[in-house]
Amino acid sequence: MQRSVFKDTAPAGRPTLKEALFLGFCAVFAVLARVALRLKLHITGHSMLPTVFFLMLARGSVRYRFGAVFTAVMAGSAAMFLGFAKSGPLILIKYLAVAIVIDVMAMLLPGRFHTVFWSALTGALAGSTKFVSEFAIGALAGMDQEVNLTKSLIEGGSAALFGLLAGALIPVVLRRLRAYGVIS
Amino acid sequence: MALAMVLSCLAFVSRTLPLLLVLSAANILVLVWLRRGPRTLKRELRTFCWQTLIILSLYLLRFRSMDGLWAGFKVSWQLFLAMLPVMAVSKTVSQAAAVRTLSRILPGQMAFVLSTCIKFVPLLLAEIKNIYEGQVLRGARILPRDLVRPWHWPDLLHCVIVPSIVQGMALAGNIALAAKARGFGRSPRRTCWPGM
Repeated sequence: MQRSVFKDTAPAGRPTLKEALFLGFCAVFAVLARVALRLKLHITGHSMLPTVFFLMLARGSVRYRFGAVFTAVMAGSAAMFLGFAKSGPLILIKYLAVAIVIDVMAMLLPGRFHTVFWSALTGALAGSTKFVSEFAIGALAGMDQEVNLTKSLIEGGSAALFGLLAGALIPVVLRRLRAYGVIS
Repeated sequence: MALAMVLSCLAFVSRTLPLLLVLSAANILVLVWLRRGPRTLKRELRTFCWQTLIILSLYLLRFRSMDGLWAGFKVSWQLFLAMLPVMAVSKTVSQAAAVRTLSRILPGQMAFVLSTCIKFVPLLLAEIKNIYEGQVLRGARILPRDLVRPWHWPDLLHCVIVPSIVQGMALAGNIALAAKARGFGRSPRRTCWPGM
């Protein structure tokens, strides 16, 4: 039987090439937006806005179950190899922590971020992972426990707030994409 | 890259002044070897100053003594040394070399996808610029002076962000179609063209 190039199929449990490429664009834009915001602003945790937005967009737009993790691996690799990773290889862990929360929440929420409340909650939870990563880095460097906790709480809280904002935007974007017939 | 990773990891275990001084000297040697001028060091030092300011104020609040300040400065120094080598190396590696390295580390499809996306991002950015200019000509309130007012932000979402995502989806579809037409993914074994 002749294969059709128009039929974009993938083995079970893997994204199609079109989906993978879209996830790739989301990953690259997550990195570029993070860099652009760093140049303009100096607000703690603001980089979580594009990170959560693009990872949630990636998961919400494709049927692939681990869309956010796939995007996070690519974003982390791109950031590391293109020289945008301030924290070196730790950037991969930072992206992955956010992505795991998003993928788990997407599995628990059958509506895939249809409502603003659940989507914003997912964003806030994903953003708050910055607390864990910052605390771990501080502990590795031998920072005083109380100072480390205060610093991580400030950064994590701010990141959760920006994550909440990004999460609240996702249902609006997904509704428009569904209206255009781009996603099903 | 391996040397940068080792230097970065060593920063976390260097807790004494002599060790930190030796590690700083090693980092400066790496910067000289990579031919990164004082401009790179100046840029990274700006981040260091910002980070040190935050950590020192927190330590001062906690300990209220000079000993606390020194401990805070040491932690900030360690964090700076953990980040400096990777930053310097990743800025000196060319895109082609990065993609070659990526294809060694990542699975085949992921490496192809990432390198393709990096390659096509300028095209997509040009498309987004066209969309932005088109919407400005239509009268959308998305100029920088309009975006100072938060009630104009939904215009940016509806007029630029959503069409840009649709454009990204369309571009991904076209690239996937072209890759399939050239036999991408037909064989389970990784192949490349021209044959090697």
